[in-house]
Amino acid sequence: MTNTINNVEFVRNLVEDNYKVNKTEVIDQYQVSFEVEKEEVHRLLAQLRSEGWIQMSYLSAIDWIADNEFELVYIVFNWEKPVYIQVRTRLDRDNPVMESIMPIHPGCKYYEREAHEYFGIEFPGNPDFHKPLILEDWDDMPPLRKDFDPRAYSDAHFSSREYPETHENTLGQESKVAQRESRMARVFKVGKGGKK
Amino acid sequence: MMVGILTGFGVALFGFVWQTSLGGISRKVVARLQKRYGPKWYQEFLDIFKLLSKRATSHGWIFDLGVIMALGGIIATAAFMPVTNDIFAFADFDNFFIYVYLIAVGMLGMAMSASGSGNPLASIGVMRALTTMLAYEVPFMVIVMVIIKHAGTSSLRGIAMAQQDAGMWYMVALPLGFIVAFICLLGMLGKKPFETYIAPAELASGPMVEYGGKQLGMLFIMHEITVFIEVSLFVHLFLGGAENIFVFLLKYFVVYSVANLVSNVNGRFKIDQVVVFFYKWILPLAMIQAFVALYMNGWWN
Amino acid sequence: MESTKFSPITKLSKEEVDRKWWEIGDFFRRNSLWMLMYCTGCCAIELPPAMTSAYDMERLGMGPMATPRQADVLLVTGYLSLKTLRRVIYTYEQMSEPKYIVGFGSCTINGGIYHDSHVVINQLDQYIPVDTYVAGCMPNTEAVMNGFIDLMSLIKNKKADGWKRYKKNYEWYKKNQIDSLGEVQVHDEYHQ
Repeated sequence: MTNTINNVEFVRNLVEDNYKVNKTEVIDQYQVSFEVEKEEVHRLLAQLRSEGWIQMSYLSAIDWIADNEFELVYIVFNWEKPVYIQVRTRLDRDNPVMESIMPIHPGCKYYEREAHEYFGIEFPGNPDFHKPLILEDWDDMPPLRKDFDPRAYSDAHFSSREYPETHENTLGQESKVAQRESRMARVFKVGKGGKK
Repeated sequence: MMVGILTGFGVALFGFVWQTSLGGISRKVVARLQKRYGPKWYQEFLDIFKLLSKRATSHGWIFDLGVIMALGGIIATAAFMPVTNDIFAFADFDNFFIYVYLIAVGMLGMAMSASGSGNPLASIGVMRALTTMLAYEVPFMVIVMVIIKHAGTSSLRGIAMAQQDAGMWYMVALPLGFIVAFICLLGMLGKKPFETYIAPAELASGPMVEYGGKQLGMLFIMHEITVFIEVSLFVHLFLGGAENIFVFLLKYFVVYSVANLVSNVNGRFKIDQVVVFFYKWILPLAMIQAFVALYMNGWWN
Repeated sequence: MESTKFSPITKLSKEEVDRKWWEIGDFFRRNSLWMLMYCTGCCAIELPPAMTSAYDMERLGMGPMATPRQADVLLVTGYLSLKTLRRVIYTYEQMSEPKYIVGFGSCTINGGIYHDSHVVINQLDQYIPVDTYVAGCMPNTEAVMNGFIDLMSLIKNKKADGWKRYKKNYEWYKKNQIDSLGEVQVHDEYHQ
């Protein structure tokens, strides 16, 4: 029975000895996160793949608008030594270009298309990263960026139902405000020690 | 001649009304088995008349012609079916091979119109229907040949009266053959586990995928009359026909209910499993039955 | 000179004969509704309880059918994104007439909890004509059965004429569809 803390130590030794890591975070015994520079990502992922981290679980981006950067996250998984490794890089927000990792993990084709569609990150090396995958006929800015306002888009494009603003008491019930106030009054009366 | 034609149409109409009511009653029985109320007993009538009152799109004249040909062929087939010993339309035309020949006309009509619609799912459904037909026809033919040889006549009324005269039905005299023919009946009716050619959620109803409105209503009528013909064949061949109408209705009801209940607890086979099942298990049983009946006749006396 | 002993025979006018045929047709149509289970969104999980043993839908005559050409009722269950709406319109125009639409859940009424999303439409009956709604998020199964019975009584009173409204106001519906959707033709990798 493998001791899983050895797996995390193994991973940390493997990565930190060979690459320049900006930040390491051990989340729990199954998840580790490394932040590396953009140029080292391909070498790191290729070496991890040869060590056994063959499954690309996820690829996505985070929009740090205050830092003016995108953060790309690659999550890979190993079935023999079960540790999720998150490889993070920072990209410039005004010109986000990242070389595609299709030679290493061919299954990332659709993840990269989704990241391009929702964030605007370009992946040269992926043959059809500019083709729309989920949204059709989209003509506005990429929707998951933080300076996109979905509420304004929805109000501009889709009409919403109007309801009449009358507050009528058609059933003859006591208003909810009056019910609540009488209930609170009863609570406070009892709370002060029973019958007066 | 005129009386014969009118009686023939009367038999077809009687078959349609009886089978449609029985379909509704079977749905109610199945629903009660599943601890719920079912639809009304005349629900199938409502379905057919609702379909006949809708306006649907047509895909050309081959599409419409195929449906009309199928329906016309089946009504013509049903006109030849004898109901009891005394109610029959044409005295010399109730030969078994007429049914084998004329049911194919119905199938061909449906195949023609399904291919005229241009949907690839319809072609897959028709191909599967013809493959299933290939699977169940061979054992069925073997058993029916044994019966024809034994009874000496291939007329349905003749076979029925031979069973009544001998006092023993072929269900008891050829038990393996009865089982084989019952399973082939399940295949003919298109009930589970041989429901591959309709496959409601897989192929979107197979050959019926592009129909709507009046064409679908006519196809449903065709299906009801086909079921009537097949179950009546089974009753005449294995259960000894009928002396009067009530005995016929009772036997028909029992056969159809047992078939329905058996098919209700089964899943659906794939098409290659259907063919393998029929050729691996059913055909050897039919061969054994044929061998025993033809060459070892009377060894137990 | 004609005798005035008997009152004149009333012959039914053409409109009355049509109306009587239509009433007979409505009796058959409302007692045997076949629904197309277009499970658009989350409210579709309210359909299996309505179909199975506790709240049986088959005793009303309704049953599931596989293709739009064979179905009468299109159940739009749940929210509709732009992509789905194009395909729903495509499907609705393939159904054979007379046809009805039931909108399930709050998302078809006013957008529900997705009202401020950039891909979910807010009001369904601007795009296709809806006959009746069933409110809730999710609706209770008894509300679903009640909705079906409401649809049947609407058919009986001849108020379920969504398909006629669609044909009459076709330009208005088309204008709304093109305003919000851009175009209704389906363009994706599998339709090229």
